[in-house]
Amino acid sequence: MAQATTGQAPGVRVDGLTVVYKTPAGELPAVRDVSLTLEPGSITGIVGESGSGKSTLALSLLNAVQPPGRISAGSVEIDGLGDVVGFEGERLRKARGAHIGYVFQAAQNSLNPLKTVGKQLLDLGRSHGVEDRRGLLREAQELLGRMGLDGARVLDSYQHELSGGMRQRVGIMLALVLNAQVVVLDEPTTALDMITQANILKIVREVHAERGLTTLVITHDIGVVAEVADRLAVMYGGRLVEQGPTRQVLGDPRHPYTKGLIKAIPRLVGDIDQARALPGRPPTLATVPKAGCVFRERCALRMDICDTDDPAAVAHGPRIVACHAVKVKEHA
Amino acid sequence: MITGNGIVKTFKQRGNMLGAREVRALRGVDFSIPKGGAASFIGESGCGKTTLGRIIAGLETYDDGEIVIDGVPMSSLTLKRRQPHFRKIQMIHQDPYSALNPTRTVHQTLRAPLALRAKQTGRSKAWMDERAAEVLSLVGLDPATVLARYPHQLSGGMRQRVVIARALTVDPEMLVADEAVSMIDVSLRLGILALLKDLRERLGVSVLFITHDVATARYIGDDGDLYVIYRGQVVERGPVDTVIADPVHPYTQSLLSAIPVLHGLELPGEQPVVPLEALNAGQDDVGCLFAPRCPFRGERCDTERPLLQLTEGVPQEHACFHPERRSVIARPMSEV
Amino acid sequence: MSATLIPETASATTTMRRNFWSGVWRVMKRKPSRMAGVVILVGFAFMGAFGPMFFPDHLPGDVNALTKPPSWEHWFGTDPQGRDVLALVITGSRYVLLCATVTAVITVVLGTALGLFSGFKRGRWDTVLMRITDMKLTIPGLPLLLVLATVWKFSSPIQMGLVLGLLGWGGVARAVRAQTLSLRERGFIEAARGLGLSTSHIVGRELLPSMAPYIAMNMLISVTGAVYAQVGLFFLGVLPYESDNWGVMLNLAVFQAGAMIQPNALGYLLAPLLAIMLLTLGIVLVVDAMDEIFNPRLREE
Repeated sequence: MAQATTGQAPGVRVDGLTVVYKTPAGELPAVRDVSLTLEPGSITGIVGESGSGKSTLALSLLNAVQPPGRISAGSVEIDGLGDVVGFEGERLRKARGAHIGYVFQAAQNSLNPLKTVGKQLLDLGRSHGVEDRRGLLREAQELLGRMGLDGARVLDSYQHELSGGMRQRVGIMLALVLNAQVVVLDEPTTALDMITQANILKIVREVHAERGLTTLVITHDIGVVAEVADRLAVMYGGRLVEQGPTRQVLGDPRHPYTKGLIKAIPRLVGDIDQARALPGRPPTLATVPKAGCVFRERCALRMDICDTDDPAAVAHGPRIVACHAVKVKEHA
Repeated sequence: MITGNGIVKTFKQRGNMLGAREVRALRGVDFSIPKGGAASFIGESGCGKTTLGRIIAGLETYDDGEIVIDGVPMSSLTLKRRQPHFRKIQMIHQDPYSALNPTRTVHQTLRAPLALRAKQTGRSKAWMDERAAEVLSLVGLDPATVLARYPHQLSGGMRQRVVIARALTVDPEMLVADEAVSMIDVSLRLGILALLKDLRERLGVSVLFITHDVATARYIGDDGDLYVIYRGQVVERGPVDTVIADPVHPYTQSLLSAIPVLHGLELPGEQPVVPLEALNAGQDDVGCLFAPRCPFRGERCDTERPLLQLTEGVPQEHACFHPERRSVIARPMSEV
Repeated sequence: MSATLIPETASATTTMRRNFWSGVWRVMKRKPSRMAGVVILVGFAFMGAFGPMFFPDHLPGDVNALTKPPSWEHWFGTDPQGRDVLALVITGSRYVLLCATVTAVITVVLGTALGLFSGFKRGRWDTVLMRITDMKLTIPGLPLLLVLATVWKFSSPIQMGLVLGLLGWGGVARAVRAQTLSLRERGFIEAARGLGLSTSHIVGRELLPSMAPYIAMNMLISVTGAVYAQVGLFFLGVLPYESDNWGVMLNLAVFQAGAMIQPNALGYLLAPLLAIMLLTLGIVLVVDAMDEIFNPRLREE
C-alpha cells in the first residue's frame, strides 16, 4: 500500500460551528457553537444520544447538511483543503470522496440494491474522473482483502447477498478507495452483533494506522469509542459538553452528563447496583433550552447560574469541560 | 415454572422449483425458567434465540419437543386450548415504535386487553380505567398525562414502558424481552432494565431476556441462568456470573471477548479469544457446529457432535470436546 | 390515587372523538385547495340530492330557442329541443352521482373485505381468493359491460352502480391484501394476538384504521372511475336514451347537434364535460388530505 508510507494525515479544525434547522417554531440550533480539533492521524470519537446533534456535526464536516438545515456560523478547516463551509458545487463534490470519506450507518441501506458493489464502485470512480478503472478495482479488492473479505466475490455481489458486517466493510472500502485522508464513520456498528462489532472496530483501528488517516467515529455507544478512539468528545443537546483523551475522560469524567452516562452502563463484573439510571430524558430540537445550560434539567449539580448562563467550554490541560459546577470546583 | 425439552424448529425457505431449502433454527433445546426467576439467551443474530423466545411466548409453533407451562404439557392440548397458557407469557418487542399502533391512544391500547379481562371476570368499566391507571403507574408513567396520548407523542423509553404496561394488563407470569432496550437512548436504557428488574421483585414476574449484550442480561437477573446459543444449539449454560467468570466453551469466550473494554475504567481480560469471523452456515450434519470457526478445534470435532455435559468445578454445562477456562472479560481497574 | 382519575379516563373516548373532528377541520384548513375541494364535493352532493326538485319532471323545451349558444337566460345555451342545458346537467346529476356512490361503496367494501380476509388468513383461503381476483382482473370491463347492456337496461342508477362495483373491486382487494400482509408482521398486531384479543378486534380496530387513508383514497378515486365508466357507456349509445344523462348529452351534442362543427352547440357539449371535470377536481383536492386526516401524527402537528 503506497498511501501508507506517504502518511501525511490532515488535521481538521471545527471552530464555533452552529447548524440550525428551520422548523415551524423558527430556526432551531441542532449544533451550537461547537469547537473541536481532530489532530492529524488521530481517531476521535463523538458520543451522544439521539438529538444530541452528533450526526449533524458529522455531516457539517462534508458541508452536507441538507435543507431545512444550514450551517449558520463557524468554520470547518481541513488541512490542504481550506474551509469547507465556503465550498460549493463541483469543488465540494470533488472534496467529498476524494478528501473526506463518509461511511454511513451499517443498519441503513446506503448501497443501491439494484447494482452490484463493483458497479457502484465504478460509478463512484466515474463521478470523480478516475481514468484508471483497473487500478480502482485492484485497489478496492486489496482493501476488501485487507478486511478479510474475498474482494472479487464481494464486488460481484448485490447488497442483499452481503451480511451486515460485510456491508459495513464495503462502506469503509467505498470511503477509502479514492484515497480520502479524513474518514467519518457514522454509527459504524449499530445493529451489528458483538462479535461483528469487535471485528469492524479492529479493522477501523488497523486501516486507520496503515493508511495514516484522520478518523472521526460518531456513536451512541461509549464502548465503541473506548475501543477505538484516542480522543473522546461528548455531545448533549447540540453542545460539546466534554472532550479529552479517551482514557482520562472514561477514568475520571468531569461533566455530570459524562459521569451519568458512564454510570448508566451495566457492567460485566462487580456490583450490579452500581449502575444508576440518569433521570429525565434527552432533549429534542424543540425542547432544548434556549438559554442556560442544556443539561440542567437532568443535572444533580444544578445551580442558579445554570438557568441563565450557558457554560463556556474551558480547557483544563488536555481536557475541555463546559460546566459551571466543574469550574467552581476547580477554582475552590 | 416454564420448561422446554428438546425444542426443534425448522423453517422451510421458499426455494426453487426443485424443493424448499430447510433452515434449522433450533436443534433440540432444553430450558427451564422458575416462577419469578430470570433467564437470558445470548448469541449472535440468526442463532435462533429470537425464534425460541417467540415459541415460548406462543407466537410461533415448534416441530418437536415439549413445552410445559406450570405443569401442563402443551402437547396434550389443542392449539386453541394452549392459548390461555401462552397468554401468561408476554413478549416485549425490540422496537417500541412498531409495537404500538400509531392510530390508537395509550388509553385505547390498554383498554382492549382490559375489556377482554373484564368480560371474562365480570368486572366493571370503572375497574378497567382503574387498572389502566394502575399498570401505567407500575411502569413509572403518570396516567393523567399519558393516557390520552398517541405513540408519536411519546419518547422511545416511554413507549417501551407503555408496551410493558400493556403486557401487564393480562397479569403475566413471564415477560419475554427480546433486545428490549437496543433501540432506546443510552441514558434511558438502564431505566427500562431497572423497571424489568423491579417488576420481578414487586410482582414476581419472571423475565426471559434475549440479547447479544451479556451485561444487560446480567443486570436484570444475575440469579438466573445464562444460555449461550449457537446455531440452534445451547453450547453453554449456567448461572450468569459463573458463566461470565468461567466460560469454558470457545464460543462463549469469543462472545465475551468481543464486549468493548472501557479503557481507562477497565483492563482487558488476560486471555481474550480473537473475535471470530462472520457466521457462515457451513457444515450441518456431522461434527461440532462451531468447529469451522473454532480456534481450538481438534480432530474429534469434525466427526462427532458434542452434547451438553456438566463442567467440572462449576455449576454449569457446556457442549465442547476441549473445554478450558480462560479469563477473557475485562476487569474494573479498581478491582485489579 | 386512581379514584380521582376515573372521571378523566371515562370521558377520554368522547374527547377523542371530538379531537378527531377538530383535527380533520385543522387538516382541511391547512391548504385552501382542500377547502375548495370540500366546497365542490358538498356542492355536487347538494346538486344530486336537491337539484332535481327545482325542476319539473319533463323539462319544457322552447321551440323558439333550439340549440342556442350560451346567454344570460340560458347560461350554457339550449339543446336541440330548446331545453336549458344547465337544467339538464342538474337534473341528470342524481343518476350519475348516485350510481358513482354505489359503485364506490361496493368496490371498497368488497375489495377491503376480501383483501383483509385474504391477507390475514393467508394459506389456502388466500390462494383461492387471489386466483379469483386475478381472473376477475383479466376480464376486460368495457366489452363485458357492452354485453351486459344488451341484457339489462340499467334504468336504475343503483343497478348500474352494482354492476360497476362488482367489476371494480379487484384492484382494491389486491392492494389491501398487500397492505395487510405487511401490517400483520408489525409488532402491535403480534402483541394483540399474544394478548388473546379477538380476530374481529385485530382486524377492525388495529388493521383497518391503519389502512383508513388508503381505503378512503381508493373510495374517492373509484367515484371518478365510475363516473367515467357510465358516462362513457351512455356516450357510446349502448344504453337507452335518457334525455338528461350527462353521457347522453355528450352523445347528442356530438352526433346530433354537431358540436364539433357548430359553435352554437358548444355549450351543450361543454356543460357535462365541465361538470365531470369539476367533480374530478374536487375529489383530487380532497384526496390530498386523507393521509393527514387518518394519521394522528400528521393530524395533530
